[in-house]
Amino acid sequence: MTQQLEQALARQYEAGFVSDIASDTFVAGLNEEVIRRISAIKEEPEWMLEWRLRAYENWLKMEEPDWAHVSYPKIDFQAISYFSAPKSMKDKPKSLAEVDPELLRVYEKLGIPLYEQEVLAGVAVDVVFDSVSVVTTFREKLKEAGVIFCPISEAIKDYPELVKKYLGAVVPRSDNYFAALNSAVFTDGSFVYIPKGVRCPMELSTYFRINEQNTGQFERTLIIADEGSYVSYLEGCTAPQRDENQLHAAVVELVALDNAQIKYSTVQNWYPGDENGIGGIYNFVTKRGLCQTNAKISWTQVETGSAITWKYPSCVLKGDNSVGEFYSVALTRGHQQADTGSKMIHLGKNTKSTIISKGISAGQSNNAYRGLVHMGPKADGARNFTQRDSLLIGDRCGAHTFPYIESRNPGAKVEHEATTSKVSDEQLFLCQQRGLDAEKAISMIVNGFCKAVFKELPMEFAVEAGKLLEISLEGSVG
Amino acid sequence: MLTIKNLHARVEQIQILNGLDLIINPGEVHAIMGPNGAGKSTLGYVLSGREGYDVTEGEVHFKDENLLALDIEQRARHGLFLAFQYPVEIPGVSNMEFLKESVNAMRLHRRQEPLSASDFLKAAKTACQQVQLPLDFLKRGVNEGFSGGEKKRNEIMQMILLEPSLCILDESDSGLDVDALQVVANGVNSQRNATRSFVIITHYQRLLDYIQPDFVHILANGKIVKSGTAALAQQIEKEGYAFLNTATSLEIKA
Amino acid sequence: MNPWFQGVVARAEAKSDSLSPLRQGAVHSLKETTWPGRRTEHWKYTSLSVLENLELVHTPSNQELTVAAIENVQTIDLLFVDGKLRTDLTALQLPAGLTISLLDKADGLQYVIATSFFSQIKPKRHLFGLVNDALANDILFISVASKSIIKPLIRIISHHSAGHEAHQRVLVRVQQAASVKIIEQIEGQGQHLSTNFTEFEVSEHANLEHYRLIQPSAEALHFGGNHFCLHQHAVLNSTLLGFGSVLSRTDIDILHNGEHANAKLNAISVLGDSAHFDLHSNVEHIKAHGKTTEQVRVIVGDKANAVFNGRIHIHPKAQKTQAALHNRNLLLSRRGQVNTKPELEIYADDVQCAHGATVAEIEEDALNYLQTRGIARDQALVMLNVGFIQELINQLPDPHLAQWLNQGLLPRLKEIAIT
Repeated sequence: MTQQLEQALARQYEAGFVSDIASDTFVAGLNEEVIRRISAIKEEPEWMLEWRLRAYENWLKMEEPDWAHVSYPKIDFQAISYFSAPKSMKDKPKSLAEVDPELLRVYEKLGIPLYEQEVLAGVAVDVVFDSVSVVTTFREKLKEAGVIFCPISEAIKDYPELVKKYLGAVVPRSDNYFAALNSAVFTDGSFVYIPKGVRCPMELSTYFRINEQNTGQFERTLIIADEGSYVSYLEGCTAPQRDENQLHAAVVELVALDNAQIKYSTVQNWYPGDENGIGGIYNFVTKRGLCQTNAKISWTQVETGSAITWKYPSCVLKGDNSVGEFYSVALTRGHQQADTGSKMIHLGKNTKSTIISKGISAGQSNNAYRGLVHMGPKADGARNFTQRDSLLIGDRCGAHTFPYIESRNPGAKVEHEATTSKVSDEQLFLCQQRGLDAEKAISMIVNGFCKAVFKELPMEFAVEAGKLLEISLEGSVG
Repeated sequence: MLTIKNLHARVEQIQILNGLDLIINPGEVHAIMGPNGAGKSTLGYVLSGREGYDVTEGEVHFKDENLLALDIEQRARHGLFLAFQYPVEIPGVSNMEFLKESVNAMRLHRRQEPLSASDFLKAAKTACQQVQLPLDFLKRGVNEGFSGGEKKRNEIMQMILLEPSLCILDESDSGLDVDALQVVANGVNSQRNATRSFVIITHYQRLLDYIQPDFVHILANGKIVKSGTAALAQQIEKEGYAFLNTATSLEIKA
Repeated sequence: MNPWFQGVVARAEAKSDSLSPLRQGAVHSLKETTWPGRRTEHWKYTSLSVLENLELVHTPSNQELTVAAIENVQTIDLLFVDGKLRTDLTALQLPAGLTISLLDKADGLQYVIATSFFSQIKPKRHLFGLVNDALANDILFISVASKSIIKPLIRIISHHSAGHEAHQRVLVRVQQAASVKIIEQIEGQGQHLSTNFTEFEVSEHANLEHYRLIQPSAEALHFGGNHFCLHQHAVLNSTLLGFGSVLSRTDIDILHNGEHANAKLNAISVLGDSAHFDLHSNVEHIKAHGKTTEQVRVIVGDKANAVFNGRIHIHPKAQKTQAALHNRNLLLSRRGQVNTKPELEIYADDVQCAHGATVAEIEEDALNYLQTRGIARDQALVMLNVGFIQELINQLPDPHLAQWLNQGLLPRLKEIAIT
């Protein structure tokens, strides 16, 4: 049985094609000059450049962290190019009709037909290709509702007060090594502002794609939900198949003011490296949300890609009665390594957090959950419930759990549970005896395993996630 | 339908089947009885193709195909059904989803159109009623939290929906009270016809009061030591297996 | 390097005795060790600053001490004061199959056996294990011959005097199919520093019933640990009871070095005032079919600080392992803290492995219920606290011992202020 399950994934990474798009790319290397050039190309105001430079100074003094359960060769930060933009983007298109058809074909190949989305699905999309936002759809319609959804490079120019107030408020420049780097060299990302009491009329979505080689992608996203508002945001990611590792060090900050709600969903399918573990994206991301009184932030993620994943979508539950949720399915196969989880910091009274993390390991991968639940001294009546389940497919992979629990308040309650299981021989035999082949059986069982998380995803994503998981597991049984 | 010739099989280096012969024709119901450890369940597992059960000698033909050359799911799609003695739980996977996939896999093999969601639901409802399982069982995980009796009835329900050619029932009566026993028996009897065959593996004669077998075989020491009609089962009921010691000159470990 | 650590290294280098060859590795490692700080993962919640400028007496005191018996329990008492053995081993009446000797006076064969596992069970030890390797003097070696069933309880009492620093080490070897019961009592007065480590080799089919009582004075600085190496079909039942002090760190390591070994570890700690208690447990399932059940229950009141790190590591070939760890913490006061981290590192798929950790306070419902049955709130609280711990005490194999332990436990539970 183990032999059956053991086969390494034969599946070809579907998004692994390279698009031949002429681009402007900086020479590799990082120094103050590079940052100034990025700022200049983006036509940023002085204060933004200063902010970046301060971050760069911080970064120079920091050390790359090494405590995660992942191992990788040292990154040469001087060998990365920090900016790349398709040439045809020199003049920013105002609508899809003006976008280079080549670029649109890239997205179509990825199964993201923008026109269709625009017309039928009614999902507003911000499309980021390498370091630039290609187009943001539905802007006019959103504007009517008062919703701002645009690339952050524009927001810096058009809505400086908002950006100044909130950028770095949730993830300070000095928070960690990769956040500092991102703060210095971020090139684009999404900016969202939902005004008071508004329920955003459609789901907002961003697709990131790293195309140009030897570049790093450092996107920065800032979502602000003003009092009593609601927004659901979807993030999807892909990258071509390359032999070298590419770095994706993003920062996502969410601010949910009193009574506001933000739902942030990610389906991540970055290139995971080939069957020998060569190449693949290093996904080192800092995602954090701040909740004020009665606010709620939900993080839902399905991670199947990246050679290495290092991310802990977190919630700072500052306001009383605020709620933080984290639902995650992380699949690792081949030689992938993941060290991911969530941090829930309970500061306010009666705050509540739920963490449901499902890890599936196959091949020779390692899948670790790292979480922090912190109950501050003032968190009277706070509650946390954490459930971590690992499913091992084959006997050469690893599943790990490192939950940190810190409590400073007697009235706060923390409950953590972790289990480990495998697709048992009996279960597989039952399915096969009922006519299902082993792959189908495993796919069904894994889906059942992930149910609790999938039902938290917005509809479109749930379907995509299910399919992605099924495709990812193909070949894990021989 | 099924021809077994000189079957030798072992599990974990222990030889369990030692030259078993059996012929089953379409429409027949065969009961296999015998003392514990004789190899009754092993026969079921070997026929279904379970990993860890190695055939060391012999041939098996199922509907003119060399059964031993087929994978587990190929044997199932070809029409072989094994009702387990201890059905396993698969939490998170609903009975509904599981059955639908299975039914459609069978249909695909038979070159039939897959059932639409509503047609499947209709069929599932009927099957549920037949085995007296409430409809909401379909929503629960496969065998999740089911009692022993409910698990056995679930097995019969699957048999009804999958329409197999050969049904092997491995101790489908163990642990059941009289009512549940009747439900199981009714389920089996309702599926009897001229083209479908049954192998009923049982330790006790009780089930055979409800499902009249055409033939009864005694499996001991890894082979069939005696065959007869339903009367043979009665004899075992009265005298146990010891009488075999005189009948054959083998020592039966009962 | 702080003054205390410098002093330790100097003394370690200067020490010369028959065990010097064994100590060499430790002395060398000590010189390369960095002093653990806030950012050192396994010392995150345990600050060592109080140690840095410590100056204590390094020779044992002469104070007279008597050992109180345990009612209804027959014991063989071994008394150590500041790391020096006071008991006259030659005067002991030992049952057949039991040999107890001091390592530097052991006969040739015993010496070879003992030193074969000295510091081998957990080669990568932390700083204080190394200090113990380098500086422990009267190293005790207890050996139980094959198939011997030792009835009396072997009792190792380590007393530490105020103002003294001492390092103590015990090696225990339980041979094939033998059975023995050992209790370690660590206690002391005033401010003192001690490192107390015991290593156990539990051979095939052997049975070890073990207890470790850490009842130091409030100002004690204590570092200790138990390292168990289990061979095929070995059975270990170990109970730890700790009361914490200014600085207290215990490491329990269990190695499943043979198939089908069975380990049970129950740990209880009751902390009040400003007590600190850091328990690090590490279970390595190296071989298949092993079983480990670990339960840790902690009550924290006043300004106490409980730290727990429970790691279970299942190696790639350790299939069919069954491992479960449950950590329950009651945090009773606003000024106390609980820091817990149960860890799993699993590299084999056909295993049953789970852990759980909870932090809560006494349920209001439960309190209320007792009160409606006429019990005063304060008393109800104590009753519920006791109940929380009692479940583990009730699992002790020896009811007399359980009773004796309760006698020490109950006053503590009553004392814990809930603010």
